Amino acid sequence: MMQALLVSNALLWIAVLALSLVVVALVRQIGVLHARIAPVGALDTGAGPRPGDAAPELLVEDWSGRRVRVGGASEDSRSTLLFFLSPRCPVCKSLLPALDAIAEQERAWLRVVWASDGARAEHAPLVAEHDLASRPFVLSTPLALAYRVGQLPFAVLIDAAGAVRAAGLVNTREHLESLFEAQALGVPNLQTWLTERSDRRRAAG
Amino acid sequence: MSAPAVDPAVHAWLCASLGLLFAFASAHKLRAPRAFAAQLAEYRLVPDAASLPLGFALGAGELALALALCTPALSRAAALGAALLLALYAGAISIDLARGLDDFDCGCGLAPRPLGPGLVARNGLLAAGALVAALPALPRALGAVDALTIAAGTLCFALLFAAADTLAARRASAA
Repeated sequence: MMQALLVSNALLWIAVLALSLVVVALVRQIGVLHARIAPVGALDTGAGPRPGDAAPELLVEDWSGRRVRVGGASEDSRSTLLFFLSPRCPVCKSLLPALDAIAEQERAWLRVVWASDGARAEHAPLVAEHDLASRPFVLSTPLALAYRVGQLPFAVLIDAAGAVRAAGLVNTREHLESLFEAQALGVPNLQTWLTERSDRRRAAG
Repeated sequence: MSAPAVDPAVHAWLCASLGLLFAFASAHKLRAPRAFAAQLAEYRLVPDAASLPLGFALGAGELALALALCTPALSRAAALGAALLLALYAGAISIDLARGLDDFDCGCGLAPRPLGPGLVARNGLLAAGALVAALPALPRALGAVDALTIAAGTLCFALLFAAADTLAARRASAA
């Protein structure tokens, strides 16, 4: 009887130690997963107005002929999200519903301006499909040039005072939201914040 | 009803586990005294000039406790000292939490983590274990099976403590 208990005790300890090792391995694996699914931000293309700069000020006409002011201090103290798209860019189209939702949810502090350039006829199907005629959708080459838009979809967040807060290439809704995060955190883009954070951690550890 | 007492195997397991914990903690403090002094200064409980000597004193004290915990003749007194030191840490963290100071690395774990009630609970639990270890032992000779219990139990404590600490730190940093 005593012998049986001793054997069972030893076996149980082995099992408990093995389980503890598995727990440690799982915890480490969680760390790896955390690092892999770290938030991703809008890609800084290095072109165009830098965060902190005054946004180029332009007065343009939207699709329906209303005047839209981009840049400069805003009259209703709302920030502006400038979203550059193109009818030939499928990713831009996939982002339009998310942009509509953002425009609706963040209406209190944010104005969304849709922007593109090129021939009006080329844009007609897109405008019809996504009801852009009722929104501030501007077709302006000077605007795209002023913001040095190279790759699409490109978004610029301009604060109420008319300064660029964040800008970058946005391929997903997460990228778009990263612009707001960057503004809230006071960094040019989320990549900067993540790099600084890991530097801080390395310095602390 | 006899006075509370503890089985010698349990006593030895607690002493070995706490000894290991304090050995690691003191190594962390003594290896980077300036970094630890900076963390101590964040608590704003002692003057800045006192942080470095206090950090040294805490590190040396923890090392002495770790050694004493592994010395049978001293282990009971050391366990009492360990309980007091852990209660002191818990008290310092509680004071800062009550003052609203929690936005800095506590300097008390394997990974950087801010102050929180979880740390007070952790130190309270460890202090309770140290108090149990300070109880008088029942007269019983330790055998080979006890050696297995103590060694395996200590190893389990170390692994699970490390896992729990890492998880808590990650949870705090994700929040």
